[in-house]
Amino acid sequence: MPQSPSLAASAPPPLFRLFVGRSEFALLVALLVIIAFFSLASGTFLTVRNMTNVLGQASLAMTAGIGVAIVFISGEVDVSVGSLVAAVAIPLVTIMNMTESLALGVAGALALGLVVGAVNGYLAAYAGINSLIVTLGTLFILRGGVYLYTGQTAIPDDAMLESFFQIGNGRILDVLPIPAAIAFVLLLVFAYVLRHRPFGRQVYAVGGSPEVARLAGYDVRRIKFTCFIISALLATVAGILLASRLGSAVHVAGLGFEFQVVAAVVLGGVSLSGGVGSLFGMALGVLILSFLSNGLGMLDLATEWQLVITGFIIIAAVGFDEVKRQRR
Amino acid sequence: MRADPLETAKEAAVPALEMRGIGKRFPGVIALDGVDLALAPGKVHALMGENGAGKSTLIKILAGVYGKDTGTIRVGGRETEFRSPRDALRQGIKVVFQEIALISEFTVAENIFLEEYPRIAGGSIDWKRIRAEAAALFQRIGFDVDPAAKTGDLPVSQQQMVEIARALAHEARIVVMDEPTSSLTPKEVELLFVVIRRLTALGIAVVYVSHKLDEVFEIADEVTVLRDGRHISTKPIGAHTHDSLIHDMIGRRIDNLFPRVRRHSPGKAVLTVENLSTDAKLKGVSFEARAGEVLGFFGLMGAGRTELAKAIVGYDPIRSGTIRIDGTPLVPHDTRRAVGLGIGLLTEDRKTEGLMLELPVLQNMSLASLSAFAKAGFVDEGRERSAVQSFVDRFRVKTPGLGQAIKNLSGGNQQKVLLARWLMRGLKVIVVDEPTRGIDVGAKSEIFALIDQLAGEGLAVIMMTSEMPELLGLSDRIAVMAEGRITAVMPRDAATQEIILNAAIA
Repeated sequence: MPQSPSLAASAPPPLFRLFVGRSEFALLVALLVIIAFFSLASGTFLTVRNMTNVLGQASLAMTAGIGVAIVFISGEVDVSVGSLVAAVAIPLVTIMNMTESLALGVAGALALGLVVGAVNGYLAAYAGINSLIVTLGTLFILRGGVYLYTGQTAIPDDAMLESFFQIGNGRILDVLPIPAAIAFVLLLVFAYVLRHRPFGRQVYAVGGSPEVARLAGYDVRRIKFTCFIISALLATVAGILLASRLGSAVHVAGLGFEFQVVAAVVLGGVSLSGGVGSLFGMALGVLILSFLSNGLGMLDLATEWQLVITGFIIIAAVGFDEVKRQRR
Repeated sequence: MRADPLETAKEAAVPALEMRGIGKRFPGVIALDGVDLALAPGKVHALMGENGAGKSTLIKILAGVYGKDTGTIRVGGRETEFRSPRDALRQGIKVVFQEIALISEFTVAENIFLEEYPRIAGGSIDWKRIRAEAAALFQRIGFDVDPAAKTGDLPVSQQQMVEIARALAHEARIVVMDEPTSSLTPKEVELLFVVIRRLTALGIAVVYVSHKLDEVFEIADEVTVLRDGRHISTKPIGAHTHDSLIHDMIGRRIDNLFPRVRRHSPGKAVLTVENLSTDAKLKGVSFEARAGEVLGFFGLMGAGRTELAKAIVGYDPIRSGTIRIDGTPLVPHDTRRAVGLGIGLLTEDRKTEGLMLELPVLQNMSLASLSAFAKAGFVDEGRERSAVQSFVDRFRVKTPGLGQAIKNLSGGNQQKVLLARWLMRGLKVIVVDEPTRGIDVGAKSEIFALIDQLAGEGLAVIMMTSEMPELLGLSDRIAVMAEGRITAVMPRDAATQEIILNAAIA
């Protein structure tokens, strides 16, 4: 070796930097601060019951948030989930009422989710229509369809299956809500996929730089299409859990849910421009918003103020990220 | 992956790659016309030529970005074709473009294996192997890059090394580098050359695309020169002198130069630039432009023409130096002040920086002059229309009407509308950057006539161009740029292609 040129000082960063540099760490700190604050401010906040209740409530946004985050990472947007959670309850409850079978009902719900995901994905990835427009369109179409089909009322669950009741309301060992456990398992599975499966890395590559991804031989459109399918299927799961909690297919279920999810996703550090973010960040974003809303509620702060505070927090958090990014 | 010396010796008999009679045409242009290129294993082959000679098209065919229209390609003696960049890489060819093709959010190691992640049983990614192999690859090329670093945080010089490691990871036998030193410091260039020599020692054929003569003489074994899409010469570097290489690169007859009609001497200096430097590119640029003249700036790719254009109209920030328009300094340095003083830019990137594609001719033309048509805060549409109409007539803009969306006009007519946008405003100095890019031959002469007419009316026209015929045909004076500096200024009558290219390559 005539000479070994070296421009890179490749000493590992100190442990401190390793954590502080990561946005997930900042989110975790924020979450702990929020929990600590409300524990001091309210006597009933830091109880097992309340904590697990919040986890149960958060699990719907977390489940759908996984899919929405994946679509965001691929460089697209999906806001159709708010109506989809209501729409999938219709085949679910209708089929259960006819067949007394949870499995068939779930299959029906998933089939509808698959169709919606395929339509979103086809229009956005293959037809090249802006995905915000496409999914905003399906958001309206699905909600309108639900109103038309139900005649503006709820379809009650007449089958009254115990298994259906349990998936939304049961608790493992009488502590952990089943929806929270489902969300947690899905989170781990998809975090693993994003980190360790070639498909997951391709999602990041496609969102980070479609041109580079294309040069590397990736089928950019197919990858984005798949992300929309995943998102719709996960929203379907959230819709099934919601229907179980509500005990029927409710026509107004999930109104505004899409914004709750998008807020948590961006708060969790997932970039709207694609290629950046993690599911753990998204999960922390969901938990922060959930604990915040629960805690503020306990302090008897009106919902109006909860909304105002949530809005400020989202802008501040994302703005902070943006300032940090531009500094570099 | 290993370079067996015996294997390398055997391969030396067969060219690593042979291109014969490669032809490629785009609508209205013949980009390549029967070009040959043969690469020997373990040699550095320089590919040279002026702007538009066909170098980029040729390497894009090599990279699998473009398909060829005619000719044959052989890799290791076997006839083949490259259907995509991935396909080319699979066949052992890696092109390192100027625009580096890496995902900036990914680690260095991950980028190296983007095409094909090593897997563990079950199909998940083998991160341990990726990190280990990345480190091993950097050891082989003798350049230390941290495989765990985020790629976007690295300087271009190191990103290039990541691309080279990526080539080795795919056992590439041919590595093409497109203007690799254009954004490197001299120190980094030296390091790059060390790495290139290591590649050739591994039996890899390197194609070095550049217009920097010194570098080519230092690193290349052979040189192929292209001109106007044709193969001009392939010689060992030892058979060339500085002059012979330049001669091969130009040697073009410039016929039917544009006939200038202006026959008066230019007036006083209306634009004075002193010692202008920017963070981006420019280093101590000084010149003046006079009323009624066309001052042509020539430079090869990356010389800094566009950067100069954007700096003097207040678009890009400057670090030091002064710009005076008719004696008044351009302070604050922004486009609003610049337009107020009477200097405007006709951008090289018409589609994104010039036009509002969906809007009609009317709005596109009157954009910079709306305040002149305003009455009590409302645009007086009658006056706006008549002003726009008069320019449409005067410049003979071919449009069905003022309401026509500008995207439906031809490139030449779009350019006329943009010129009119500035003239309506009443400028003293207009900077035109590559005024005939993407405009067909017929419309070109109309644009030339228009620019000539503007100078005739007393405007100072500063024209940035990479086209020799345009430069020689239209300019009254010629300034040549290289690496952010002005290397020569001469009156048109004293200029020859040799003098200009010599100054551009310096």
